Amino acid sequence: MPGAFVLPLIIGLPLLGAIFVMCTPKTESSLHRGIGLTVTTITFLVSLLVLRYFNAKLDTYQLVFDVEWIPVLGAHFKTGIDGFSLYLVLLTTFLMPLTLFGTARSIDKNVREFIATMLILEAGMLGAFVALDLFLFYVMWEVMLIPMYLLIGIWGGQRRLYASIKFVIYTMAGSLLMLVAIFYVYVQAGSVLGGYTTDLEKLTQVALPYHAQVWCFAAFAVAFAIKVPLFPLHTWLPDAHVEAPTAGSVILAGVMLKFGIYGFLRYAMPLFPHGAEVWAPTIAVLSVIGIIYGALVAYAQDDVKKLVAYSSVSHLGFCALGIVALTPYGIGGSVYAMLSHGLTTGGLFLGIGVLYERRHTRRLAEYGGLWKQMPVFAGLYLIIVMGSAGLPALSGFVGEFLTLLGTFDAGIDGSPVIIPVPTILGALATTGVILGAVYLLFMFQKVFFGKLDKAKNGKLPDLTGRELGVFIPLVIGIFLMGMFPRPFLNAMDPTVKRFISEFATRQRECDGPAHRYGTMVMDKDGKCPAAPAGAAAAKTTDAQIKDNLDAVAKGAAAVEKAIAPAAKAAEGGAP
Amino acid sequence: MNLNFDPKDLGYLAPYLIMTVSGLLLVLAEAFYKGKDRTALVGLAVAGSVASAIASIILYTQVGPNVSQQIMGEMLMYDRTSYVLSALFALTTAVAALMSPSHQREHQWVIGEYYGTMLMAASGMIMLAHAANLVTVFLGIETMSIGVYVMTAMRRTSRRGNEAAMKYFLIGAFATGFLVYGMALLYGAAGTTSIVAMRGTLASTANPGLVIAGGFLLVVAFGFKVAAVPFHMWAPDAYEGAPTPVTAFMAAAVKAAAIAAMIRVFGVALGGDVVPFGALGWASPLVVIAAITITIGNISAVRQDNIKRMLAYSSISHAGVLLTGICALGLGSITANPAIVYYLIAYNVTTMGAFAVVAYVGSRGRERLLVDDWAGLAGQHPAAALAMTICLLSLGGMPPTGGFFGKFYIFKAAMDVNDGQLLWLVLVGVVNSAISIYYYLRIVTAMYFREANQPFTPTRSGALVFVMAMCPVLILEMGIMPGWWLKLV
Repeated sequence: MPGAFVLPLIIGLPLLGAIFVMCTPKTESSLHRGIGLTVTTITFLVSLLVLRYFNAKLDTYQLVFDVEWIPVLGAHFKTGIDGFSLYLVLLTTFLMPLTLFGTARSIDKNVREFIATMLILEAGMLGAFVALDLFLFYVMWEVMLIPMYLLIGIWGGQRRLYASIKFVIYTMAGSLLMLVAIFYVYVQAGSVLGGYTTDLEKLTQVALPYHAQVWCFAAFAVAFAIKVPLFPLHTWLPDAHVEAPTAGSVILAGVMLKFGIYGFLRYAMPLFPHGAEVWAPTIAVLSVIGIIYGALVAYAQDDVKKLVAYSSVSHLGFCALGIVALTPYGIGGSVYAMLSHGLTTGGLFLGIGVLYERRHTRRLAEYGGLWKQMPVFAGLYLIIVMGSAGLPALSGFVGEFLTLLGTFDAGIDGSPVIIPVPTILGALATTGVILGAVYLLFMFQKVFFGKLDKAKNGKLPDLTGRELGVFIPLVIGIFLMGMFPRPFLNAMDPTVKRFISEFATRQRECDGPAHRYGTMVMDKDGKCPAAPAGAAAAKTTDAQIKDNLDAVAKGAAAVEKAIAPAAKAAEGGAP
Repeated sequence: MNLNFDPKDLGYLAPYLIMTVSGLLLVLAEAFYKGKDRTALVGLAVAGSVASAIASIILYTQVGPNVSQQIMGEMLMYDRTSYVLSALFALTTAVAALMSPSHQREHQWVIGEYYGTMLMAASGMIMLAHAANLVTVFLGIETMSIGVYVMTAMRRTSRRGNEAAMKYFLIGAFATGFLVYGMALLYGAAGTTSIVAMRGTLASTANPGLVIAGGFLLVVAFGFKVAAVPFHMWAPDAYEGAPTPVTAFMAAAVKAAAIAAMIRVFGVALGGDVVPFGALGWASPLVVIAAITITIGNISAVRQDNIKRMLAYSSISHAGVLLTGICALGLGSITANPAIVYYLIAYNVTTMGAFAVVAYVGSRGRERLLVDDWAGLAGQHPAAALAMTICLLSLGGMPPTGGFFGKFYIFKAAMDVNDGQLLWLVLVGVVNSAISIYYYLRIVTAMYFREANQPFTPTRSGALVFVMAMCPVLILEMGIMPGWWLKLV
C-alpha cells in the first residue's frame, strides 16, 4: 500500500530520538532540548505525509503496514489509519513540538531524561493510535503509562508521589480487566477461525455469544472509561493534572484522554456490538452526569489547573455521549470535539504554565487585572478560552453542537441504539455548554479583569517570542477548525458511515437465539451460519470431539427449552 | 522394567555429568587450593556451568520437536523441554556464581566449599529436568535441597542466616516426608514408579482413593518446595537471611527446578485426561492454592519495607502464576508447556537481574535493604536504577518485557482449558498484577522521585555489572521479539 512506511516511521523516529538523546552527555541541557525539538518537529513533518497518501473518500483502513511479529501467537505489527485516527495522529505530532518548545525551559533538572521520556511517550501514543492489532495496541497502551508516571513523579509538584501512583494504579486496574477480555476474545476467535490471531479486522468478524459480549464490553469499557474519564472513575485526573508539570498536563489532557473515546470507537464497540447496545444507556447517563458535575466542580475551584482538569471531565462527557448515541452526527461530532479539546485544553494548560512560571502560584485569588499588564497574552488566551467554551466560529462549537445534535437524533435517525429518553439527556447535556461558558469566563474574569491590586502582578512581563511561537499556531488551529470544519469532517465521514452501518448489520444479523450456540464467524454479508462453526472446524483429539458433541447437545437442549412452552401448548390443544 | 544400561545413553546426560564432575572437582580443588583468595574458585564454577549449558544447547539441537526418549532403565528421559531447562539451570547457576565473589568479599563470608555446593545443587536441578521416574524426582529434589540448605547457612556469623537455614531445613525435611509418602501411595496404586508407565496404569487402577490421596500429598510437598501459600512461611525468612547471591539462586533456579519436576509429575504422570476420577483429584486443591498464593504473596509484599523480603513475597506470587500454568497443563491445555518454560526463562533472567542490583547497591558489610535506603539511587547511579526499573517492570508484567509475555502466555494457556474452567483464576491473577505494580513502583518511586539521604558506595565488580547489563537487555529482547523463545519447546 502506498505510504505504508509513514506510520512505522513516525513511531520509530521518536524512539530513535530517545535513544540518541540518552547517548549525549548529561550536562548539555540545551543540546537535549534542541534534539527533542528537532526530533518532534521532524516527526510532525513526516506525519504530514499521511495527508498526502490518505484518500478521504475511502472508508477502509489506509496506509496499512503489516508484518508478522510473534508467529506463535498470531500477533502482527499492523498499523493503519482511517478517519478516526487520521487527525488524532496529527494532533499528537502537532502538540508534541509545541509542548517541548513552550515548556522545556521550565524543566531544569534531568533535562536529558525529560526529553527521552517525552519522546518515548510520543512513540507509545502514536503506536496506540495507529495499531490495528489488538495485541500491539495493548502493548502500546501500556508503554504510554510508564513515561507519564515518570513525568508526574520526577518533574511534578508537591504531592507528586501520591498523584503518580494513583494514576498508575487506576490505569493499570482498568487495562488489566481489558487484558482478560482480550484473552477471552483471542481464545474464542482462535478456536473458530482455525488459528490464533490478534488482527483487529479478523477479530471483528467473530460474533461472540451474547452474554460474553456484554461482559467483555464491560471490561473494555472500564479501561476506557477510566481514561476518558467518565464519572465516577475520574478522581485520578485532577490529582494527576495538578501535580504534573505543564508538559505532562498538556499531553495528558491534549492527547492521552482521547484514548478512552478512541478505544470505544476502535475496539470496544466493533468487537462487542451487543455489549455496546446493553451498556450504551449507562454510559450516556454517566457522561451527562460527568458533563454537569465536572462543570459545577470546575466552577468551585480556586486552583486554575484543577479548574481546567474538571473542565476536561465535562468536555469529554460530550464526546462519550456522542459516540453512544451512534448517529453520524454524534460520532463525527465526538471525534471533532476531541480534536478541538486537544487544541483548546492544551492551550489552557500552556497558558497556566505561562502564569505559573511568572508567579509560582495557581490560585485564582492571587491574580486579577492582568489584561493591562499582559495584553497580548490576554487576547490570545481569550480566544482559547472561548474556543473551549464553544463560541461559534471557534473549534469547540462545531464538535459540541454536532454531538448534541446527534444525541437528539439518537433512536430516530436510523440509529440502532435507543438511549432512554434521548431528548432529556440532550437537554441536560446542553446545560453543560452554558455551565462551561460560566466557569471558563469566571476564570478568565478573575485572572484578567478587575483591578491590578496585587503588587507582584504589577511587574509581570508579557509573552516572550518563544511563548508567542507556541500560542499563535494553537490559536490559528482553533480558528481553522472553527471556521472551516468541512475538510476535517469530510475525512471522517466515510469512516463514520461505515462504522454505523457495520455496527447495525452485526447487531441485526447476529441477534437472537443463534448466539446460544456460541462463537461463530459471520460471512461476508454479516450473516451467521445456522450451525455452530466450532463443530465444523477440524478438531483432532477425542476430547475435543467430545466437547463439540457436548456443545451440540447443549444447543439442542436450549432449543428444546425454547420451544417447550409452544410444544406444551400444542399438546394441550391437540386432544 | 527395563534396567539395561546402555553406555551410549551417557552422551545424552552430558549436561548432568559435566555439572556433577565440576562440582566434585570444586570440592577437591578447595581442599588442595593453596592460594589465599578462595573466591578464585569461581572461575572453575562458572566454566563448569557454562560447559554444562553449552552441552545442553548442543544436545537440544540434536533432538527433534516431538521426540521424548527414556534412558537409563526408564529412570531418566530427554526431550526439548529437559534440555532447555537444563541449559536454563546451568546458566542461572553460572550467573549466581558470577555474583558471588564480590558479595563474599564485601560481606566477609568467604568459604571455599560454597561453589562446590552450588554446582552439586545445580546437578540435582538438571536431574529434575530429566527425571522420568518418581525415584529420580526424589533424588533430584533432595540433591538440590540439601545443597541449598547448606548455602543458606554459609554466612556462619550471621544469626539471621543461621535462623533462616534452620527454618528452611526443618520445614524442607518435613515436606520431604510428604513427598515420599505421596510417592509411595501412587506406587501402591499404579504398581510402577515410572512416570510414563504410570500414566497408563493409573487409568485402570483399582484404588482410586490411593491416587487421590497420593496426589494431594504431592501437592503439599511441591507446595513447600515452590513456596506456595499456605506452605510459604519459610520463604521470606530464608530469602532475607541467605546471602544475596544465594537468595537469587533460590528464588530463580530452585523454584524453576521444582516447577520442572511438577511438569513431569502433574503434567505427565497425573495428566488431566488420564486420571478418571471426576475433575482430577489433585487439580482442584492446586487451583485453589494457586489463587491464594498469588493473592497472599502480593498483599504481603505490599507491606514490606525490606527489598529482599518484598522480592521474596513477589516470588511467592510468581509461584502462584506458575502453578496456574501447571493446572492448565494438567487440565490438558496444549500451550501450557511452552508457556511455563517461557515464563521460567523470563522469570529467572528477571530475578537474577533484580538481585544483582540488590547485591550491587550494598557494600562493606552494609546491605542497604530498606526501600528508604534506595532513595535517590537514580541521581547517583542512573544505569543501576534503570536496570532495576526494567527488572521490576518485568516482574510486574508490564509490556514490553519478558515478564509481561510470560504472564500473557500462561494466562492464555489457562484460558485454553475447556469450558473456561480457569477463567476465574486468570481474573485473580490479572487483578493481582495491578496490586503488584504498586509495590514494584514503590522502589522505582524511591529510586527516581526522592532525594538521596546518604551517598551510595556500591560494590565494585565487573562480573556484577556484566549481569546487571545483560539481564535487562535480555528482558527487553524477550519482550519485543518473543517469537523465537516461544518456539523453543
